[in-house]
Amino acid sequence: MRTRFGNFILNSPNLVPMPIGIYAGLEITGASVRQSVMDAHAQSEAVQALHERFNTPVMLTAMDLSVEAEEFGCEIRMTEDEIPTVIGRKVTSLAEIDRLPDPVIGSARSVVSLETARMLLSSVKGIPVLGGVIGPFSLAGRIFGVSESLEVSLTEPEVLKALLEKVTRYLIRYLTAFREAGVHGVIMAEPAAGLLSPRGLSQFSSVYVKRIIESTVTPEFTVVLHNCGAKLVHLPKVLEAGAEIFHFGALMDIGQALTQVGEDIILSGNLDPTGVFHNGNPQEVTARTRELLQAAAGHSNFIPSSGCDIPPHSPLGNLAAFYDTIRG
Amino acid sequence: MDAKISEIFDAIVNGEAASAKQYVQSALDDGLDAEVILNEGLVASMKEVGRLFEEGEYFVPEMLISARAMQAGMNILRPVLIEQDIKPSGKVVIGTVRGDLHDIGKNLVSMMLEGAGFQIVDLGTDVAPEKFLEAVAEHKPDILGMSALLTTTMSNIEATIRFFEEKGVRNDVKIIVGGAPITQAYADKIGADGFAPDASQAAALAKRLMGKA
Repeated sequence: MRTRFGNFILNSPNLVPMPIGIYAGLEITGASVRQSVMDAHAQSEAVQALHERFNTPVMLTAMDLSVEAEEFGCEIRMTEDEIPTVIGRKVTSLAEIDRLPDPVIGSARSVVSLETARMLLSSVKGIPVLGGVIGPFSLAGRIFGVSESLEVSLTEPEVLKALLEKVTRYLIRYLTAFREAGVHGVIMAEPAAGLLSPRGLSQFSSVYVKRIIESTVTPEFTVVLHNCGAKLVHLPKVLEAGAEIFHFGALMDIGQALTQVGEDIILSGNLDPTGVFHNGNPQEVTARTRELLQAAAGHSNFIPSSGCDIPPHSPLGNLAAFYDTIRG
Repeated sequence: MDAKISEIFDAIVNGEAASAKQYVQSALDDGLDAEVILNEGLVASMKEVGRLFEEGEYFVPEMLISARAMQAGMNILRPVLIEQDIKPSGKVVIGTVRGDLHDIGKNLVSMMLEGAGFQIVDLGTDVAPEKFLEAVAEHKPDILGMSALLTTTMSNIEATIRFFEEKGVRNDVKIIVGGAPITQAYADKIGADGFAPDASQAAALAKRLMGKA
């Protein structure tokens, strides 16, 4: 289904730069990472600061992949300067999965994400807003343990599937809440699925993402499926999810991927967020961005982006170099 | 390859922990040499797993269950190796640095190193420089491995190396580093002895540093 965001991308006269990451905005506002993930005002201000500085054509809420797990009751470690991390395992068996309650949307920090989206929509008119959410396999991994999820995908797949059923129902409700807030869509981050084999990715990620997409996408609301662990060998199985837009990390051969998917599917990515945006300098960012544009040359169904979330304390000059290079 | 060794090899490559345990015990019961079981069964099978990973046939889940199978076999074999005073390829102290709770990469490296015949002392996650120093003093490893996933914690790898320098013990141990934000250039810059981009290559790196590759 073609959505208004897909049309916005395809009908733009030039490529639409869309690096992922609001944390660079904290360099402008002076708020801490903790404030930005706890307070919708702080998060919204960081996104708007980036918009004002770089005239960002799309505004994104934070990629904070502990939000949903916290809503399931997982313990979270939070410090001033780091993106929150899930600690330990909430469930370790099929019986515990069965007993895991379905969370109420807004019972923890999803309320911050949803409120940030509403604030952005009301304060900056006419600019598409995308919410940030986690994907089903990655959420299951945070609840059951990532290593353990990977292992049981081979040894006890029925255990993993029971949890995936539960998180999928929750994610459908969470995405529906984003849709009702009026955003153009969400970026669904499914990084852990890139650790699976292509067959495993199909079985334990794409099947569930597809169900979420079929339950939530409308002409007004899209799902951008992000997988920063996927390589070209995963591509056909990632595409099974049926998203309108796929966002990949630095491991993906974007030029080859664009050739393989055809013109109906929009791809995005994939400059290394750490190596290029965080550790690089403006000259290196310019060079890598030019290489990316060259790899994607001739494809209007492409959104130049970082390959994943740009880390906190990445130099703003590197972001400027990225935008300047794309805008010529 | 001896049929008993072949059974062990196949069980580990296929990630069958119960079978690996059973076949190692059976091989010992039949009087096979423990060092042969180690090198031709456990170490060789994990080398094969590393090859399959590098060639894109195996992915992380397959590596994890093979490593579990190897560990199941090793738990049976280890007391015999100790009893016969058969030395490991080397000793490695490993941990994720202070402030960082991520352990998948570190665990995979530990498993592959163990599968390459190294003795592992795993300090876990969020390991302070002082704790690394204490562990090196206590265990006297050949290699210290440090991991970080976050850009905000990768600087603690360098901080730990500087701490070792301040204490005058930097040259007592080879230091290898890894993790998503780490590159060869960063490893060189902070004065590490080696960097590997994945667990399979970490095992090869450790062997090179021990002069055994």
